[in-house]
Formats: sequence, structure tokens, C-alpha cells
Amino acid sequence: MSTIALPRWRGTGTTAQIGILTGRSLRALVGDPKLMIFSLLQPLIMLLLFSQVFGSMAGTENFPAGVSYINYLMPAILVTTGVGAALQSGIGLVSDMKNGVLARLRSLPINHSSVLVARSLSDLIRTALQLLILLAAAVVLFDFSPQGGLLGVVPAFLLALAVSWALSWIFLAVGAWVRNAESMQTVGFLAMFPLMFASSAFVPIDGLPTWLRVVATINPLTYAVDASRNLALGLPVGSGVWSALAASVGLLVVGAVLAVRGFRRPLPV
Amino acid sequence: MNDIMIEANGVTKTFGTVTALDGVSIQVPRGSVLGLLGHNGAGKTTLVNILTTMLPPSGGTASVAGFDVVTAGNEVRGRIGLTGQFASVDEQLSGTDNLVLIARLLGASRREARARTDELLNLFDLADAAKRPAKTYSGGMRRRLDLAASLVGRPDVIFLDEPTTGLDPASRIGMWEIVEELVGGGTTVLLTTQYLEEADRLADAITVLSAGKVVAAGTASELKAQVGKRAVHVTLAAPQDAHTAVSALTRHGLAPVLDEAHAELRTPVETSSDLAVVVRALDEVHVEVAELALTEPSLDDVYLTLAKNNAA
Repeated sequence: MSTIALPRWRGTGTTAQIGILTGRSLRALVGDPKLMIFSLLQPLIMLLLFSQVFGSMAGTENFPAGVSYINYLMPAILVTTGVGAALQSGIGLVSDMKNGVLARLRSLPINHSSVLVARSLSDLIRTALQLLILLAAAVVLFDFSPQGGLLGVVPAFLLALAVSWALSWIFLAVGAWVRNAESMQTVGFLAMFPLMFASSAFVPIDGLPTWLRVVATINPLTYAVDASRNLALGLPVGSGVWSALAASVGLLVVGAVLAVRGFRRPLPV
Repeated sequence: MNDIMIEANGVTKTFGTVTALDGVSIQVPRGSVLGLLGHNGAGKTTLVNILTTMLPPSGGTASVAGFDVVTAGNEVRGRIGLTGQFASVDEQLSGTDNLVLIARLLGASRREARARTDELLNLFDLADAAKRPAKTYSGGMRRRLDLAASLVGRPDVIFLDEPTTGLDPASRIGMWEIVEELVGGGTTVLLTTQYLEEADRLADAITVLSAGKVVAAGTASELKAQVGKRAVHVTLAAPQDAHTAVSALTRHGLAPVLDEAHAELRTPVETSSDLAVVVRALDEVHVEVAELALTEPSLDDVYLTLAKNNAA
């Protein structure tokens, strides 16, 4: 081979690595938008079905006065879609472990944590896009027009995104340790459904049977949903937003530490 | 500059109670090819994983290009290329994007990354498929892209873990030619294989691993000499005679190796007159012979002899 003795490339810093790897994931997203479209289908179907099934609940005694069901529902859908996207983040990590991409990256002189941070950042961007498309669809197709207006919806969107990002680190940690897509799906599914339904996401918790109300009251998702909803509806938010953000930061730190530790372990051989 | 580029000293690796490597030592001089020969489970991939910093050793020391694999992992990774048994390419990305990504991570500018990528895609006959996602590639193309990916940084040392396993014969020969070109360019190569033909053709030196231990090391011809210049192959008519036959031959000063599964005996001999000794020895104990042949040694014999001796 006509290899001339060229100077060796000097390697890259962690920031550059994160930038390059994030770009790679986003390029894969643009090249194959199927995953993104499919992950939008579920929340759209929920919007359609729930607004029909539960629509008549608006105006009943436990329901906030003067609020339409779609305006009540949509902020919760933002949060639950974000939670689903966070789960996808962990599943994506596991599938990269399977298909050999990570094996290649690990053989390079780069910081292993760059790979995790890059995945998390590109997933954050993907989730932001998903939520924005969902918001646009809700406005155009379902007449979503909450009392809080744009100044309420934007913070509601950002809060949902923050919760999603924090949870994505928890799922990345689970993925880095479990390393099995099927287990991830099962764990995710088992965790998601009770969290979603035993919460204030779809109906006011005051209308729930007592035992379920207790579960919903201690369910952290209830707080995220309430905070996002109150922001969008222009209702007083109290300390809810700050508690949700503080919990998110806590989850993010714990998740990131565990994810990096799990990720450093050798790949199965 | 004939220094040692790959060195392992008494490397051990245990997984729980399983010992995958049991005190393995190797030395590979710059610009040479070491063939690491062994069957599945012999510890070849574990050794490659330790030398490429993918796994920490349980004991012993190892260095690549003068850097310790445990304490200077990043230095090692900056100087090696690794092609594993399974193609480590991003199936979502095109061939070009795969290689550009690696070059950029290694510190190349966009322009340098592009130039190196084009060079490699041409070299590996992938230029026509450069824009397609890697998931549309055939098995052989994927392997070539994988090898190209491990060469992006012009590594001093390349590890090829069973590079031709699962390839069709034409792709296999293509891969051999690529390896030969690399070595011609001064690269040091460690190659693991189950194919003796492959080690015989590519390797300057061969190390045979069995159950985590080095059971033989040397050039292909040294290994062949170790087993004997020729061998008598005997297929027994009745498998239950096997042990009688072995002790009869041993009494005549020969060293038969028994392949029990096939009721076959392989006896290395010095001269063709030893053929008569074999026939006489078996006749004395009334062992019936189905087939008898005098064969020239091959690496297969080396491998079988060593693997059998070690198992016995």
C-alpha cells in the first residue's frame, strides 16, 4: 500500500467528540425518520381517542371550571410522550451495543462518556422535535388553545422536555447495566402504564377510587403533569414547577453517574 | 527498527470460575504477522480483547506499541486497528459517513477525513457503494468496510479476529490480499484464525492456543518439523481396538495420536521404512486395519497433534 508516513492525527477533545457523535445520531435520524414518525403515532392516537372518550368529563364537578378536555389533556400528553421518548433512549443504547457500533467506538481513543452524552443530546433534540410536532398537530387538528397562551405553553413544553431528559439518563443507566432490549421493553412497559394511568394525566385524581388516589398522589408523574398543565392553563403553579425541576436534576445526576459506570464495563464477548 | 510491537507476559483472564487465559506470553516484532491458531473457546478472542484494551487482564502484563494496555489504554487505542468477528459498522450510515465519523473522532479535519475516506473506499473496492447505508451491503462488503474502518487512523498495529470467518472463498482470498498489502506497508498484524491454510499463508510466526494456554509457537515449518516429516494414517476396522493399537505402536518406539471419534491413528514417522514397523506392530496384536496411508505433514497435523496432546 502506498502509505506515506503522515503525521498521526492528534485526537479530539471531549467536547468535539460529543459534537461529532451527536451529529452522527441526528444524521441517522434525518436519513431514517421512520422511528420518529412511529413514536408520534401513539400520542396522536391517544389524543384522538381520549378527547372523544373522556371529552364529556369537562364541566363535571372535579374538573377545573371552564377548561375543555383537550386543553386539560394535551399538557399531560406532552409529559407522557417525553417519558416514552426517554425509554427509547435506553433502548437505542442497547441496540447500539448489539449492532457493533459501540464496539467500534470503544476501540477508538475517545472518552467513553462522550458516547453517552452524545446519545442523550441527540435524543433530547429528537424529543424536542417530537413534542413541537405534537403541539402543532394538537393546535391544528384538535383545537388546542389553553388559557395560558404561548407564555404558558412554552414553559409547559420546556418542563416536559426537562423531565424527559432527566428520565432518559435513568433509562440509559438501566440500558448500560441490563444490556438487553427485551428486558428494557418489559421493564419500561411495566413501569410506564401504572405511572401514566395512576396519575393526574387523564382524569382529575379527586374522581379516582380511594386506593388509586393514594397511588396517584405519590406518583411523581402526577407532579410533572400538574405543573405542566397549570403552566399551560395559566393556573397558579405554586412550588410545583420547582419541585418537578429539582426532582429532574436529582434523577439526571443519579442516572448519569450510574449510566457512566455501567457503560464503562466491558461489552459482552 | 525491529522492536517488539505486541507483547504479552503471563497474561491470565478468568471469568468467574472459568479460566479463559492461563499465562499466555507472546511477542510480535514490528512489521510481522503473528497467526493465533486455535479452536473455538481456546482463548483467541479473549487475548485480542485484552491486547486491544477492551477487557482488563486478571493477571500478567501486556503492551502494544510500547504502551501498557491497562495504564495507557488511550495511547494504545490511538495506535491500533481492530476488526472483530462481527462487523462493527453503523448500519444506518453510509460507507462514507462511517469512515468520516471515525476520522473526525481521531482528530482529522473535514477535508482530511474526506480524503482518507475516499482513499480507503477505493482501496477496498467500495467506492460504488459509498453513498448507500451499510445495511444494504453484502457480508463481504461489510467486512471490508469494517477493516477499512480499523485502518482510518493508519494504525501501527492491526488486530484481525477471525477476519474471514463466514466469508465466501472469493471474499476470503480478497481479504488475504489486503492483509498482505498491509504487511508490505510495514504494519504489524495479529491475526486469529481457525483456518490453518490462512495462518500458513499469512503468518510469519504461529502461536497455537488450546484451553487458554500456548501449546506451541514457531514458524509454520518449525511446527511441521515438530510433528515429524511424515505420518502414517491408520483407520481401524473396529474402533474398540484403538487402545490396543496405541500401546502396540508405543512399544515399537512410535508416538501415535488417536482420533477416537473416527477410529483413526496418526503416527509421525522418520522414514518410509517405518511404515513396515506400523504394519508389523498392528499385526502382532491382531488389530484389523481398514485403511492405511503415508501422508506428508500439514499444519492440520500440527494442530491436531498439539490439541490432542494437550487434551490427553
